[in-house]
Amino acid sequence: MLYITASVGLILSLASCNDFLETEPFDKLVPGSFFATEEDLELYTNSFYQQMLPSADAATQGDGMADYSSITQSSNFISGNYSSVDEGSWNWSNLRNINYFLANYNNEAIPEEARNHYAGIARFFRAWFYIEKVQRYGNVPWYDTPLTTDDEALYKTQDPREVVMQHVLEDLNFAAENIREAKDNTSSTITRQVALAYKSRIALYEGTYRKYHTELNLAGTADQWLTEAANAAKMVMDAGTYSLYNTGRPTSDYRTLFISENAVSQEVMFAMVFNNALKRWHALTWKFNSATYGSRWGLNKQFINTYLMTDGSRFTDKAGYDELLFVDEMANRDNRLAQTVRSLGYKRSDGSPAPPNFGYTFTGYHILKWSMDDKRLDGIGEAYNTIPLMRYAEVLLNYAEAKAELGEFDDMEWAKTIGLLRQRAGVNAAIPQTADPYLREVYFPEIADKYLLEIRRERGIELCYENLRYQDLMRWKKGKLVEMPWKGIYVPAMDRPMDLDGNGTPDVSFVSKTPDAAQPGVTYFVIDNNISKLSGGTSGHVIWGANEERSFEDKKYLYPISNSDIVLNPSLVQNPGWK
Amino acid sequence: MKVGVPICLLAGAILSFPFLGEAAATFAARNKEQAANSQQQTTLSGRVLDGDGQPVQNATVAIQGTGKAVSTDENGRFVLESDRTDATLVVSYVGFETKIYQVSGNTSDIVIQLDGKNDLEEVVVVGYGTQKKINLTGAVSQINSEVLENRPQPNLTRMLQGTLPNLNLRMTDGSPTRSAAFNIRGITSIGAGGNAMVLIDGVEGDPNLLNPNDVESVTILKDASSAAIYGSRAAFGVVLITTKDVGKGKPRLDVRLSQSVNQRTVVPNLVTDGYTWAKNFDDAFYAWYDYKTHPITVNANFPFSLEYLERLKNHDPSQGDAVYNESLGRYEYFGSTDWFAALHRDRMPATEASITASGGSEKAKYFVSGLYYHQDGIFRHSPDDFNKWNVRAKGEVHLNDWLTFDNNVDVSTYQYGYPLLANGDAGIWRYWAVSGFPIATMYNPDGTFTRQAVEAGASFVDGSSRSDYDRFFVRTTPSVTAKPFGDLVTFKANFTYAKTFNKDKRYNNYLYSSDRPGQTARFGNSLYRTLSDNTTYWGSNITAEVKKTLNDAHDLGVLVGYNIESNRWDNFDAQRDGLLVPGKPDFNLMDGLNYNIAGGGNEWKYLGVFYRLTYAYKSRYLLEFNGRYDGSSKFPDNQRYGFFPSASAGWNISEEPFMAGSRTWLDNLKLRASYGSLGNGNVAPYRYMETMSVSKTSVILNGVQTPYTSIPGVIPDGLTWEKATTLDVGVDATLFSGRFNLTFDWYSRITTDMFTAGQPLPNVFGAAVPFGNYADLKTNGWELTLGWQDQFDAGGTPFHYSVSGSLWDNQSEILKFNNPTKVLASTYYDGMKLGEIWGYETLGFFASDEEAANWADQSFLLNSNTNEYLAGDLKFADRNGDGVINQGKNTVDDPGDRMIIGNNSPRYQYGFTVSGNWKGVGISAFVQGIGKRDWYFAPEADLFYGPYNRPYGFQPKIMMDDYWTEENPNAYWPRYRGYTALGTNRSLGAPQTRYLQDASYLRVKDITVNYTFPEAWMNKLGIGKAMVYLSGQNLFTFSGLYKHTDNFDPEIIENPAGDMTNSHGQGDAYPMLKSYTLGLNFSF
Repeated sequence: MLYITASVGLILSLASCNDFLETEPFDKLVPGSFFATEEDLELYTNSFYQQMLPSADAATQGDGMADYSSITQSSNFISGNYSSVDEGSWNWSNLRNINYFLANYNNEAIPEEARNHYAGIARFFRAWFYIEKVQRYGNVPWYDTPLTTDDEALYKTQDPREVVMQHVLEDLNFAAENIREAKDNTSSTITRQVALAYKSRIALYEGTYRKYHTELNLAGTADQWLTEAANAAKMVMDAGTYSLYNTGRPTSDYRTLFISENAVSQEVMFAMVFNNALKRWHALTWKFNSATYGSRWGLNKQFINTYLMTDGSRFTDKAGYDELLFVDEMANRDNRLAQTVRSLGYKRSDGSPAPPNFGYTFTGYHILKWSMDDKRLDGIGEAYNTIPLMRYAEVLLNYAEAKAELGEFDDMEWAKTIGLLRQRAGVNAAIPQTADPYLREVYFPEIADKYLLEIRRERGIELCYENLRYQDLMRWKKGKLVEMPWKGIYVPAMDRPMDLDGNGTPDVSFVSKTPDAAQPGVTYFVIDNNISKLSGGTSGHVIWGANEERSFEDKKYLYPISNSDIVLNPSLVQNPGWK
Repeated sequence: MKVGVPICLLAGAILSFPFLGEAAATFAARNKEQAANSQQQTTLSGRVLDGDGQPVQNATVAIQGTGKAVSTDENGRFVLESDRTDATLVVSYVGFETKIYQVSGNTSDIVIQLDGKNDLEEVVVVGYGTQKKINLTGAVSQINSEVLENRPQPNLTRMLQGTLPNLNLRMTDGSPTRSAAFNIRGITSIGAGGNAMVLIDGVEGDPNLLNPNDVESVTILKDASSAAIYGSRAAFGVVLITTKDVGKGKPRLDVRLSQSVNQRTVVPNLVTDGYTWAKNFDDAFYAWYDYKTHPITVNANFPFSLEYLERLKNHDPSQGDAVYNESLGRYEYFGSTDWFAALHRDRMPATEASITASGGSEKAKYFVSGLYYHQDGIFRHSPDDFNKWNVRAKGEVHLNDWLTFDNNVDVSTYQYGYPLLANGDAGIWRYWAVSGFPIATMYNPDGTFTRQAVEAGASFVDGSSRSDYDRFFVRTTPSVTAKPFGDLVTFKANFTYAKTFNKDKRYNNYLYSSDRPGQTARFGNSLYRTLSDNTTYWGSNITAEVKKTLNDAHDLGVLVGYNIESNRWDNFDAQRDGLLVPGKPDFNLMDGLNYNIAGGGNEWKYLGVFYRLTYAYKSRYLLEFNGRYDGSSKFPDNQRYGFFPSASAGWNISEEPFMAGSRTWLDNLKLRASYGSLGNGNVAPYRYMETMSVSKTSVILNGVQTPYTSIPGVIPDGLTWEKATTLDVGVDATLFSGRFNLTFDWYSRITTDMFTAGQPLPNVFGAAVPFGNYADLKTNGWELTLGWQDQFDAGGTPFHYSVSGSLWDNQSEILKFNNPTKVLASTYYDGMKLGEIWGYETLGFFASDEEAANWADQSFLLNSNTNEYLAGDLKFADRNGDGVINQGKNTVDDPGDRMIIGNNSPRYQYGFTVSGNWKGVGISAFVQGIGKRDWYFAPEADLFYGPYNRPYGFQPKIMMDDYWTEENPNAYWPRYRGYTALGTNRSLGAPQTRYLQDASYLRVKDITVNYTFPEAWMNKLGIGKAMVYLSGQNLFTFSGLYKHTDNFDPEIIENPAGDMTNSHGQGDAYPMLKSYTLGLNFSF
């Protein structure tokens, strides 16, 4: 009896109060005691990088929708009967994460400079978040606090674009004023210079968008934004923290930027870092070199034609330029061409020749820019080249374009911008005397300014497949360009194996049906006269996606608001033209 | 149908015949000898009567120590010859206590009266105690140790399947470590979820760690009334596993030895001839691409061309199946590799040895047991061996006549090592589906692995990548029992401390493959991981029980108790890449920069006080009240405690005076009803708190992957307990002196306030809508158990036999759920029956291309690259007549052309046992199954859809003879096209009536034949008892599934889970095993 009483007493006293049932997680933080130190702020702001940086895929494949690229099949948005039902719900969790930080970070126990630095990081990412929403949807609701479940603001309608963009500008200005200056040689964190460079990108976007999208009636405010863009870019240029990576090797300097494991931080300002030792890998080499894994991206002939000759002359000024054999058209071109697509003499790291592969591309302009040379990576997702998200080269182009749009571009500015880029590419940087008729005919008939045409050419070539082209078309109001046929290399005849890399052995043959006895090493490309065609019937340019009806009506400058989002909040207004 | 001749069983029987014959001969000779030595022959005769003085027919009357026995005739009479007049008779009959009768003097007209044993006197384990079955008012089922005997298995869960009505155990594969959730009575909650609480000797535990030979009984408490005493964790029933009691009296030693041979129940029947396979692959691919494009690779990494196909056809086998092709500069393969056969073993031995000792005096008693179980793995080269050890020691000391102290210690451990793929953990079976092409080979001519081999499991050959899992569990429960006032009051107090350690060491090593001589390519990882965790538990129960009978009519019982528990789980994982020495995985021998350490854990605590009040009036009217006041650390302050009462009542009609006339045949008839409501405390710890996790970024910032934290989840609004309210009515009947018994229960369980997502908010909210108590569910079901046991005379010796079985069912319906538009997208809606399958109505195949062209627009369901439908493709009914086959708005009100075509919930589950015993030879069979279940295979069920899923996938042999062609328009499968079952938006992958499968099955889980050697004979050898048995498990299976596929075990059709699977590909899982066992049991 004694034992029992004793043990009952003991256990009861152990558990007599509610404290016994009070448990706090021992492996997690609790908000009440967080946001107390600078380290806490850093710990939290790291989540913005984690959650918001694009994947390697997103950072490189977005241009698959743009005018200069062909893929397996156009998106439903371009060639299908896209509607607000197809549009997925929008996601706002990253904004909530940022706004929660901004609602809680301001602890006076932390030095003001540090608080402002991290608030700057948060506001930088909030601008990033909103610009992506504005680019897709135009008007969107603005929120700067984390909403509660019964918040009326959950059900408000969109705020006008100019209100939202004004907030974005405020965020970017705050970021550019408060984020710390120190250069990050790993190119992985947001510094003041990165914020400025990003501001130049966004301000240029907004300025040109307003200028060319006259239906918004905001053209009058375009110059303010263009000036902001030019000034921000100028600040980066004047700071001298970054410069173009130019070691005097024009045939490799450009591509080095895209296939290096460590960001070339002389030029690359911000990047998605990959690392073999840390097994931070992506699958881009595989995707760009696979019949099935990727979308068989390829550049179109019309765009390839815009690459200049190394002497600075225009390829399109050559007689019969459009019907040259692949091996001939590749010779003596802007060195960036052979660093962007597989060209003459390209070899893998084991020395094996690697002509453009018609199993991996449809046009023959097989994108090389993001692929590492190691063949092993064609079949395994272990590529480790760091993906630049912001380069100094873009800052030069932003500056040049903003200046040109403001009418303030001249030969002096040319030398500081386009000239430098062409020099690095081993192209004679002489200023052209006239507006390029080819560019005007095929791309920009409405532009007469030779500088602006050259800037746009340069931007297309220099930033090819860096996920900027589609938005460039949007802000220039050139969406119609995506309707352009997907034109490939010139094919003189069917059933005649062709050499592509200039080593004399045949690499591809265009046939109506795969022959039963195939020649080793030759890829057979079936011309079925449905999805694939030759422009002249049995000869001419390869045309892929011939059966597609790509169309870009004005409504497509914006995506529809998802039907499901309107169901949840009927006060949202559908974008014009969509239902 | 799946009826294999059990060759081993036959062989075993034949082999054992001479032995048995010899034994019988020896036995007969001995009898003769005894007879010869007899000095005096006496005839013993008399009658056997039951408690009411009625004669008992077929009772066995035996003379102890001689092996002589006869059965009584219809008047209960027996006549026996004996060599002595003072013989001891042993009289036995089903339903009665075995009676020992000492003959003295009178040798004729002996009258032996038997006392009823029928299971009314049987004692059933209930919460914190036991109860006579006749006094039970709740829904309780129990099995005893004999159900588990002589069925060597790696774990108890497997053995319990089908043995208890409405204990639903779904074994998703055949892995020796695979467990199953213990579900009682169907779907519990779609919110917090929850299963039955499993208690081993009163404390929560893992039944898989238990030594099955230690188990005395397994009881399930199914209704709220029986379970209420366990409070919030018992909302969905309780499983009580009780280990064997300490012995008393003479020391006793039991030794059990068995040797088994395991085999896979199903070996997939697939095309493995290289050329045939490659041709079929090409055809499937070509058809999907509208007969325009032939493949250039097989699944993107194995080169393919028509010209290669031609050479494959004409390949000269004498050249070998891997040949270096000069002009291509690489090896070419001409294999006919059966990857299943190459890596699996066909027969795997398993051994079990166990020993149990018990004994003691009135003052002190003991029970000690040990078990070793070993099962050889199914893989040929790098086998997945399983070893298990158990030790249990129980002791009891009677300090004085009212105070007892006892302790129960359990130490259990198992180790399971299994091969991994070089590039991770993922499932080997799935890899064979997408990489194990018959045309590929394991080796190149120079002995290096091929590229395909490293992907399809070469690590299973060289054993360089493995997981070594080790589980260790120790538990001790000391307790005291005090009866200071005689039998009136019993105090019990116990304290349990338990610790579990789990450690999994996983290592992957690079494999090297070669495409051409002298070249190697690396595949996989060089990675070492330890995943470890430990759990510390302590808990205590204190109860006081009072029992009192007043005026010989009123039985009163009061039990009150107190329970406290605390549990802490700590996790520790570490990983690093770069093994310096492949065979020595240790963190000291590593150089990689990629490493990660993760901790984590949680704790929970419970406090509760509980009671049980029982009242019985002359065993006729029974009343019982249970209740518990429960506190849980998992709930916020204001919701921390809950009170859960229940009540039940019973009426023993047969005890009523007006039923006196039926006593001769009706032993017992009882009606029961119970009602109660229990809170479901199964929420995760900290669910109601705002917490911020810290993890390592995957992105690299400043050269490192750095920690980060982010916004806490929005906490639930006013979180409270889910409630499960159960109404149960039941009837128990026992007839014909215990020969027949019946138990039937009907129940309705309504789970309310289920913890599900709240009303959807606009997405600008930016977080998952907080969960709350928003949904209701109803589960109705019933259980029927019938049993018959009897014996009859067969050649002068009684033949005992029994048949017993259970059939049960349950069905669940959503009563309330936040889905006002009744969207069908993998969510619930009001009125939904759980498990329902929405699909199209298949009309058959198009007879011609014209018919296809003129039919409704079926383009919503992809059928080819350019979405063309031709003759032989599937034709769907345009049920809503809009000229388009689609899913409409995908809501209940507008499902397009879909309808409910079936339900994948298992229905009408059953288990039954037939056994017979004659002259020491016993035979028993245990059958288990599901009476009704529809199944629509998910698209990646590669063993079912074969090339229709992916052209390079498996090619089931019976499918390849049964698809549509112009010559074979009545085939089962449509026009042969790859990729049409790649997703549910494709013509074959979309659920539809034609390919709905009948997944019901009947499985002979166990057949055992045993022979108990005559006791007298064994006594001479100094052995108390000896038995030899042959047993076969999972030998025969019948299933509706076998109509169109022979590649599945009907129990392995769900998405695979656990080790060696990657959750894709239904059926791509560790195969179910059948086994043949020869065992010997001795006791001394």
